[in-house]
Amino acid sequence: MMEKALEVKTLNFYYAGKTHALKNINFPVYKNSVTALIGPSGCGKTTLLRCFNRMHDLYPGNRYEGEIIFNGINILSDRIDLIDLRSRIGMVFQKPTPFPMTVFDNIAYGLRLKGIKKRSELSERVEEALKQAALWDEVKDKLHASAYELSGGQQQRLCIARALAVKPEVLLFDEPTSALDPISTGKIEELVIALKKDITIIIVTHNMQQAARVSDWTGFMMLGELIEFGRTDRIFTNPSEKLTEEYITGRFG
Amino acid sequence: MNYQKVRILKSRLAFIVSTLTALFGIFWLVFIIGDVLIHGIGALNINLFIKDPTPAGVEGGGLRNAFVGHLLITLFATLMGVPIGVLGGTFLAEYARDRRIARFISILSDIMVSVPGLVVGIFVYAILVKPLGHFSGWAGSVALAIIMIPVVLRTTENMLSLVPWTIREAAFALGAPYYKVIIQVVYRGAATGILTGILLSIARVTGEAAPLLFTAFNNPFFSINMNEPMASLTVTIFQYAMGPYDSWHAQAWAGALMITVFILFITLIGRLIIKWRYKR
Amino acid sequence: MGILYVLFSESSLSIKRFGLLKFITSIDWDPVKESFGAAAALYGTLVTTVLALIIAIPVAIGIAIFVTEVAPNFLRGPVGIAIELLAAIPSIIYGMWGLFTLAPIMAGYVEPFLQKTIGKLPLLSILFEGTPLGIDLFTASTILGIMIIPFTASISREAFALTPFMVKESAYAIGATKWEVVKDVVLPYSKLGVIGGIVISLGRALGETMAVAFVLGNKNQITASLLDAAATVTVKLANEFTEADSDIYLSSLYYLALLLFIMSFLVLAIAKFFLLKAQRRYGG
Repeated sequence: MMEKALEVKTLNFYYAGKTHALKNINFPVYKNSVTALIGPSGCGKTTLLRCFNRMHDLYPGNRYEGEIIFNGINILSDRIDLIDLRSRIGMVFQKPTPFPMTVFDNIAYGLRLKGIKKRSELSERVEEALKQAALWDEVKDKLHASAYELSGGQQQRLCIARALAVKPEVLLFDEPTSALDPISTGKIEELVIALKKDITIIIVTHNMQQAARVSDWTGFMMLGELIEFGRTDRIFTNPSEKLTEEYITGRFG
Repeated sequence: MNYQKVRILKSRLAFIVSTLTALFGIFWLVFIIGDVLIHGIGALNINLFIKDPTPAGVEGGGLRNAFVGHLLITLFATLMGVPIGVLGGTFLAEYARDRRIARFISILSDIMVSVPGLVVGIFVYAILVKPLGHFSGWAGSVALAIIMIPVVLRTTENMLSLVPWTIREAAFALGAPYYKVIIQVVYRGAATGILTGILLSIARVTGEAAPLLFTAFNNPFFSINMNEPMASLTVTIFQYAMGPYDSWHAQAWAGALMITVFILFITLIGRLIIKWRYKR
Repeated sequence: MGILYVLFSESSLSIKRFGLLKFITSIDWDPVKESFGAAAALYGTLVTTVLALIIAIPVAIGIAIFVTEVAPNFLRGPVGIAIELLAAIPSIIYGMWGLFTLAPIMAGYVEPFLQKTIGKLPLLSILFEGTPLGIDLFTASTILGIMIIPFTASISREAFALTPFMVKESAYAIGATKWEVVKDVVLPYSKLGVIGGIVISLGRALGETMAVAFVLGNKNQITASLLDAAATVTVKLANEFTEADSDIYLSSLYYLALLLFIMSFLVLAIAKFFLLKAQRRYGG
């Protein structure tokens, strides 16, 4: 039986304006796999993703109900150390978001936050992260150039490397390729598949084909509810829910 | 883990400091306005508005000439400055888009905004006062107008650019000539913004003293003749505050109070208009 | 444009007499002897402006951080308005208040205090020599500083607000604290805009007349002590312009005005440079 990295139990989420954005979500996330969340615009998939690293806490008034179990602990509880959580569960955003620093400093940022100061150690880990993100060859001569000098696709891989540097157990991807050209998109999809042997990945995408290409498990959401969850190949060939089938076949989008 | 605690502490500390700076700023605001209020109200009485100044050292007397003079000067400055500013802004936004001359005027306007009021005053002195041989209310108004124009021009240009081009196209499609499109359609859309800009520029020049020092100079007597030196509230405050008499000081406070109230009032109205407009 | 021409022509008499270098470096200002030099006035302008900035910049940035990151939502509006009101107060009010309220406080409490504390330290003691009368560089700089705060804070705030929230969220997502996000992301991102704003404030401080005129004393001297009266270009012009009795006197004053104009213009140009660079880099 596959080991679970995370388990979502009866999760409900309310935005500050009292909008009931997530309704009674239950599903497991298996270790070293890629789990995709798909669904039409506004269905709540990004909202759900941002629960895993408690991003909603940045804005006052949001409220969680239910549990998300990670390493035996409910990470939605008040007593969780958010700074520590976020170094174990990392996130890559929709648009590339390099910090206004050099390539090296970008990657090293998370490490420096943790107190790692020795130049040699930092260099090692930066190189490791960049290799993991398949970016090392392209930037190894530009480590001290500004991150803004990289192309869009490279910047996004930079953000992935940055998140990888702190060696998280889980990595959350929020529509990571929606702002990129097809070639960069392909590179990142390859990367996701390659990373799963070390990390557990949850990816939100509005592109069904992408979900079918990269993920092992898929959850289909609509209007804040998890309509169906299961093995990717089964969901796409033989969905059990009518709504799922309609979405997959493009009846609505 | 310990290092992390330090980081959290640093974060809290940094924000306490920033809160302190905010308090620092507000402290001065309250202090200054409070002071003006206290001292000013003490000196407020009806005489202030009805009587003219008495000879130096003699008790009593008011600031009537200063109020009236200031009003006149500002009025004419507005009448001179606003139309030029609005027309200039309209020109930039409508007719000269993307043309080189637009950039030129824009840069010129920026320069004018940053010229110290004092220099404007000296400039107007050189061209209006010296040749004519005497100070005058007109010179004062011109100086203030010079200060107002770039502000109004900028605001007008910005507000007009905010009106989407498609609205103009719709009016054209209906067969309206350009100038009518501007007056009836575009101005209407930008009206509140432009109005606010005008209000704010009035607030700004009301408080100016330096430009008036060498132009309208000052006049201890009541006068509505713009061709003569004219009293203004700000210059009078300058004179009185620096002078030796307590009664003068008291009047200076009262004058300061009136000006401050007026300016704050207009500024608030201007901001409120913006808020009200964009809440819709 | 006309301004430049007029100033230039009026001051040409003085320029011919004194030339550029001598005028800037000479301390003389003697209407009787007909010898004029701008050094003292320039010194005063420089000192007050620099000190004012030293006071204003940290406070303004602190306020900007407060309004954009720290304050709970309900406070942001009111504090913002308070700062705008501070900015709207005309300089003459600052000046007058300075004369009647601040100067006495300075003379009575603050300056003696400073003399007793920092004044005892070896190198810094020169800064605080002399009788603390309250009409001096220190008070003038303080008032000027307070005056610039709201303007600088406003511009900084706008610059901060331009930081895309997604970049900030990325920083949080790695586990940064709030302060770390401000320090490492927001500040570097808005650096150019903030500097542009500071330079503009510098320009305004340069040209300020009324706020300073009341409390500076218009004494034509270069002095190391902050507790001494001095003169700035603006104050000098304000006080002496209408009393200048000889042509050379007047022309020298024009010369001063010309210098002032050129300085403001240069400062503005520098500020524009930074602001344009900021726009280009980050797409406005």
